[in-house]
Amino acid sequence: MSDFAPLPPEDDALAAEYVLGLLDTAERATAERRRRVEPAFAAAVTAWENRLSPLNAGFDEVPVRNLLPAIEARLFPVAEQPRRRWFAPFAGALTAAALAVAIIAVLPPPVPEVAPLTASLAAEGQALAFSARIDPADGTLTLIRTGGAPAEAGQDLQLWVIGADGVPASLGLIREAESTRPAAGLTPGQVLAVSLEPAGGSPTGQPTGPVLVTGVIAEG
Amino acid sequence: MAEDPVADWLSRVGSGDRAAFRALYAATSAKLFGVALRILGTRSEAEDAVQEVYTRVWLNARKFDPSKGAGMTWLIAIARYHAIDRLRARPPAMQSDDEVLDALPDDTPGVLDRIVAAGDAQRIADCFATLEPGRAAAVQGAYLQGLSYQALARRHDVPLNTMRTWLRRSLLKLKECMEG
Repeated sequence: MSDFAPLPPEDDALAAEYVLGLLDTAERATAERRRRVEPAFAAAVTAWENRLSPLNAGFDEVPVRNLLPAIEARLFPVAEQPRRRWFAPFAGALTAAALAVAIIAVLPPPVPEVAPLTASLAAEGQALAFSARIDPADGTLTLIRTGGAPAEAGQDLQLWVIGADGVPASLGLIREAESTRPAAGLTPGQVLAVSLEPAGGSPTGQPTGPVLVTGVIAEG
Repeated sequence: MAEDPVADWLSRVGSGDRAAFRALYAATSAKLFGVALRILGTRSEAEDAVQEVYTRVWLNARKFDPSKGAGMTWLIAIARYHAIDRLRARPPAMQSDDEVLDALPDDTPGVLDRIVAAGDAQRIADCFATLEPGRAAAVQGAYLQGLSYQALARRHDVPLNTMRTWLRRSLLKLKECMEG
């Protein structure tokens, strides 16, 4: 079932406890970190997920109001622009056939899809976590807080990208659970970081407070 | 694992296919809402959880590996972990409220019947049957309701370490039985 040497029984038990959800917050965070970095532990977790999956029959299906619009608004904050309206003024002057020919002839070639970039910002022992999604086509970054709490009064969280020269450049403050900001030119391999700053952000233009979470930008 | 439409949708979602994402949502949201509601107990919090879960599904779908398990298993794991994280993040007063725990229905016997009825895995039902009843109930209570060691110890009125020993032994036994 696994390509790895068997885990010590203690670790396999921990994997089972993690999958069952028995652990407290600190133990849970440790197990999650091990899952990310230890393939053998990750395989044990997957094996327990599969082993216990018949219990999923114990969860009822419960109809829920349509949450898809809210989810899509979070994930795809910039509405897709309708592009075809430009020919409307001419439509009356052309027959349908001529219109079809005209559209084929005039429509620009499809823009090649630019793959989105993502990053997960987290740190060991840190409840705060963010998911970032970068749309290179329109140069925006959507940041969603997936764990932890906003900064307390008198403080702000600030987002940074670490450039190739190692110098952090500010991408602005993070005051909402989800937010979209302009961020052109981000590339895979760059590091995003969130630091804790005085209210209003770093007074120096460089991080002054502790860096709480980081994540590497990756394709996809 | 011949047919797994959820896995197919997930692989398309992983390459950024929004139509597949909508289809996936339509087919699976009632189940994932059921998971979140069972663990969190209120519709509003379960709705919040489901939104977050699908956000993560979109962001992580390309990590799904169909050779390692079924698509629905992967989705439910994300939903359970997120709901449990929310449960653990509640203030301690809300987590340890005995009245709340006592109010939760303990419908464990019905669960096993339904697994068998679903023809899903006679084996796990048989293996649960080899455990002492209280311990089988504790394993299922943890899985289905997100009960922590503390909550289980309180519910079964045993010290926390006893509960931990019980459950570890039960899980080992379960694994041996299912692989035997």
